[in-house]
Amino acid sequence: MPDEVPVAETTNAVPLPQAVSTYPEPTQDRHRRDALALTIAAAAWFLPGLGHALLKMWGRALVCFSAVALLVILGAGMRGNIFSRNGEDAFAKLGYVADLGAGSFYFVAKALEPTGPDVSHANGDYGTRLLATAGVLNMLAALHAYEVARARKA
Amino acid sequence: MMHPYELRLSHFQAMVIFALVISIAFGFLSRRGAYKRAKYILWSFILFLLIGVGIGWAMYPFSR
Repeated sequence: MPDEVPVAETTNAVPLPQAVSTYPEPTQDRHRRDALALTIAAAAWFLPGLGHALLKMWGRALVCFSAVALLVILGAGMRGNIFSRNGEDAFAKLGYVADLGAGSFYFVAKALEPTGPDVSHANGDYGTRLLATAGVLNMLAALHAYEVARARKA
Repeated sequence: MMHPYELRLSHFQAMVIFALVISIAFGFLSRRGAYKRAKYILWSFILFLLIGVGIGWAMYPFSR
């Protein structure tokens, strides 16, 4: 056909830069990134702040570590209840999951309470809440580190 | 006998420390940039305290 012209001469389209390419990521790279993200999440759970430190997010790492450490020290100091694996009811089991969220700090809290909990006063009850909060906060931080490692969040 | 390490905090002290620590952690996790973080931490801290005191007063009629 005489009217037909090459496409390159009729379009002003600019080639897409590499960063916004719509091509899917190779499966091997995706698997590697997923494995790395899971490792970072496990590290973040085990030692609060370590996940963000591995991602070179120093401020967040320091804050996560300090916040969880402070909550555990206060909670144990107020003689809050540290739940064990042999919980009698659903609340005790949930409390164990929340406390275990603090990773290695769960054992730090146990070591800081040689005489055991005392929830006969409101003080001990508040301590229980602070310990559970430390665990849940650390799980949230680990999830954040996982999402960052998977490049879903900044 | 009080344990040497045992801490005794009043209700208000425990609430303020809790609100401050959680606000700072949330601010650092959810915002980027010093200004945005500071604004978020301040708002979160104030709201924690206001809502805590508000719930306390809402429960007051049923406390006896």
